[in-house]
Amino acid sequence: MANPQPASRKPKRGVSLYSYSGEYGVTMTIEDMFADIHDLGADGLEILGNSHIDGYPEPSDAWVENWFRLLAQYQLKPVEYGHWVDSRLYPGRELSTQESYALLQRDIKLASRLGFPFLRTKLGVIDDDLTPVTNWREFITLALPLAEEHNVCLCPEIHTPTVLKSKMVDDYVEFIEKHKTKHFGINVDFSVFQTNPLPMWEGQDLSTLKFSPVEDFVPLLPYTPICHAKFVNMSEAFVETTTPYDKILGLLSEHHWDGYLLSEYEGPHKDVPGYSSSQLRRHHILLKRLLGER
Amino acid sequence: MLEKECIQARGFRNVGEGGQVVGFQVAFRSMYYRGVWLSQLRPATVIVDGETFSGDQITWTIGGRTFAQAELAQHADIHWPLLEPAVLTVRKPGGLTQGFHDVEVQYHYSSSYMPPAMDELMVTFMGGPTKRRLTLV
Repeated sequence: MANPQPASRKPKRGVSLYSYSGEYGVTMTIEDMFADIHDLGADGLEILGNSHIDGYPEPSDAWVENWFRLLAQYQLKPVEYGHWVDSRLYPGRELSTQESYALLQRDIKLASRLGFPFLRTKLGVIDDDLTPVTNWREFITLALPLAEEHNVCLCPEIHTPTVLKSKMVDDYVEFIEKHKTKHFGINVDFSVFQTNPLPMWEGQDLSTLKFSPVEDFVPLLPYTPICHAKFVNMSEAFVETTTPYDKILGLLSEHHWDGYLLSEYEGPHKDVPGYSSSQLRRHHILLKRLLGER
Repeated sequence: MLEKECIQARGFRNVGEGGQVVGFQVAFRSMYYRGVWLSQLRPATVIVDGETFSGDQITWTIGGRTFAQAELAQHADIHWPLLEPAVLTVRKPGGLTQGFHDVEVQYHYSSSYMPPAMDELMVTFMGGPTKRRLTLV
């Protein structure tokens, strides 16, 4: 059983707490969100360090104890820990390589303490095309031994308007190959596959909307241990109206990709009580159907 | 739990020093989805019934510590958590009168994964201006 046959390997379901950002602290607590995710039959969890850890970046022992109690109670696994290398942390200058490395050290240790195997490592950018800071290779290289020690993988997110066939993605892949590392990868956010507008965007000029054909994902699968299953509009027929989920999940299943799909709701009405929850419930009907789960 | 609005009704009060009313306080929560470090914050402006307060007329209190606006840029070690409203203390000798006031808070912050030009923009998803009619007791 330790090495399941490829045919039985398929994506797993999880949720990012980002989905509830319009209600967190106002109408929902951390425990409410955990209960909500458990009720979807999902077992993977993404949190954002800066958002969901009381006392971040130094939570109390009592908080950490309660964290593990809640995970056990709601049968959730810590999967991905979102964090930022805020390169423009100080006005008027960029962080040095050593300063950036210090932020990585802090978050790698905290993510590991809380049981996370993946970190969604958000890098600072230098232009409107979202080109990452020029010293990212240097500080990621410094952090690789610590990532290895804690057995975590740092994953920048590939998000619209970036496309999969791009210099940014090529550079990340080249870095992974050069270092032959399992401790750096990419998180593909399904926003890169968004082909249709939200109903609220209809009538607007979308000629500049860039997206990636789903087939472009194939060569990147070995570098992608985790995905943001981004969604913005689940219809009452349980269809995501902007993103070709059938093609994406078909491709992942066909290639026996068995990482976590972390649902991330980024559509409208996030501050309406219950709205994000109902969108998530529809989203997990879609995922279960496409994954052949009963 | 927090109030849904950015500017919180709770916390709007006059403040005294040595038996004199020296100003007022207004509390507001971050509408961003992640907590920010104080050095990401840009100085805030408060407008009450058309009267504008800015710069060294305002201090920020977060985590029980109070900072001059000019000091914010140095404090990359102090985090503003999402679940804690920031308290702005505004110097105004005599304070505000009892009753209704139209209060606007303008604030914003840098976010390094967004294009650099956005750091200095006052747009609603990066903080931004926010208004509420409050009641001073």
